[in-house]
Amino acid sequence: MPEAIITVGGLGVQLGAHRVVDGVSMTAHAGTMTAVIGPNGAGKTTLLRAIAGLVPSATGSLSVGGADPRQANAPTLAQRIAYAPQLPASAWDFSLQEIGAIAGRPETYEQWLVRLGLALPGERRLSELSGGERKCAHLALAFTGLADPFGRALLLDEPGTSLDRTKQAALHHVMRGFAQAGAAVLVATHELAFARTCDEVIVLSEGRMIAIGRPDQTLTSDVLETVWGQA
Amino acid sequence: MTKGRATVIAGALLAGLIVLGLSVGPQGFGWGDGGALAWLRTPRVLAAVAAGLALGAGGAAQQGVFRNPLADPGLTGVFGGALFGLALLLGLAPEIAWQNAWVLPLAAFGGALACSALLVGLGGGGSTARLLLTGLGLNAFTAAGTLVIAARSGESRELLTNGAYGDWLGMATLELAWLPALLAAIAALSLLPLAHSLDLISFGEDTARCHGIEPVQARRRAMLLTALAAGAATCLVGQIAFIGLLAPHLARTLAGPRHARVLPLAGLLGAALLLGADTAGRGLWPEAPLSAAAVTAVLGAPMFIWIARRRDA
Repeated sequence: MPEAIITVGGLGVQLGAHRVVDGVSMTAHAGTMTAVIGPNGAGKTTLLRAIAGLVPSATGSLSVGGADPRQANAPTLAQRIAYAPQLPASAWDFSLQEIGAIAGRPETYEQWLVRLGLALPGERRLSELSGGERKCAHLALAFTGLADPFGRALLLDEPGTSLDRTKQAALHHVMRGFAQAGAAVLVATHELAFARTCDEVIVLSEGRMIAIGRPDQTLTSDVLETVWGQA
Repeated sequence: MTKGRATVIAGALLAGLIVLGLSVGPQGFGWGDGGALAWLRTPRVLAAVAAGLALGAGGAAQQGVFRNPLADPGLTGVFGGALFGLALLLGLAPEIAWQNAWVLPLAAFGGALACSALLVGLGGGGSTARLLLTGLGLNAFTAAGTLVIAARSGESRELLTNGAYGDWLGMATLELAWLPALLAAIAALSLLPLAHSLDLISFGEDTARCHGIEPVQARRRAMLLTALAAGAATCLVGQIAFIGLLAPHLARTLAGPRHARVLPLAGLLGAALLLGADTAGRGLWPEAPLSAAAVTAVLGAPMFIWIARRRDA
């Protein structure tokens, strides 16, 4: 069995009166891809943010790469975790070149853009990109942050949303590459076809874990009907 | 325009304006016998340059922290707080104020810091509307407070009223100006190392943290230095809006939005704008000079509306 990168035990997040994540326990190993699926508002984003150490009030046990991300300082966190938010946005109209410079490794950033199918001049600004292209620009920023994927956690919140088919395929290829390089990849997604290709699937509904395991064990018509009301 | 060239041109423009500022005054054009007139005008030019530097760089930093191009410290109540701090001191204990040179900047810094804290606490983390409306409220409150104190303190009344109109540059002396000018320069320069943090904060606090930046720490440092810049600038000019809006906006247009470029360029442009406005205000109408704040508002207010409209489009 490969090394466990992400270990979560009885994780809970309370936002106001609402229990957004309730008693989630899971493990993600090096070299694997895990899909987190569930309807809107099931708690996927909050689960990913909690694992990334971005929800200090999260209760329960949490370990990423052997340390609790809630206690880690930002530089340590940045070495262990890459996180791509669902709706990335920038306050300023940076060019692709400038984002590469901000990421600290311009050549690597450019390589990720090319691998995601975005071969555009570096002077192109975010405001001049389409929604899907902009998403790729932000995904590449998250990827560039992870210098060496081995033993690290890659947390992606609906990365394929608004990408065209070619870019989605490129993204799947990139994510698989991260897993093969020894990262634990955790992806919140609505793409069931993609989830079926993952090593493991976690099904969330109203903050609770409904099912966990291999896709053929979890994406059954029973589970789909319970969660979405249709098979 | 290449990006480095914008900074060089802004520096040259500022240098030219300094020469012009030293040459223009009610006594006529020129430097006088042995530079006597230029020496007389030096404190005013120094005060305008230092204050403009702090206003431009401070404005850029505050906009970076709030991720919003409309967050001008002059409009969000931070300068209002600085003037209110000065008013409290001048109204309640004028003798202390005039005996120790460092007490005035300290009071302005305290007022600016208190308003920054209120702005973050009440108006931060939400929409542009919430931020600006909170600033509007803070501005109205501190302006009213300043006027109440001014009305009740006989000797400081005219001084504080002039301060509320941003009309203090004319009374700058080296004795009064050197400390706030030094603090303004220190605040502006100390913001430069925060450029990388502000770049990453542009993408949101989650992304900043996952790239090794502690957003809360960076924000706190930027707000502290902006309050220092605002306090020092207010001691020199009084209350003045729009420099902190215009200068960073021009800087971003000329050199792109990276803070390593924007912070120094906004500082240089802020200094050029304030000095230019002051020189124009007294050079064009020597018999009835306009305050620098009036000139910058004539330029800045339409720009503010233009940016606000573009942002919603």
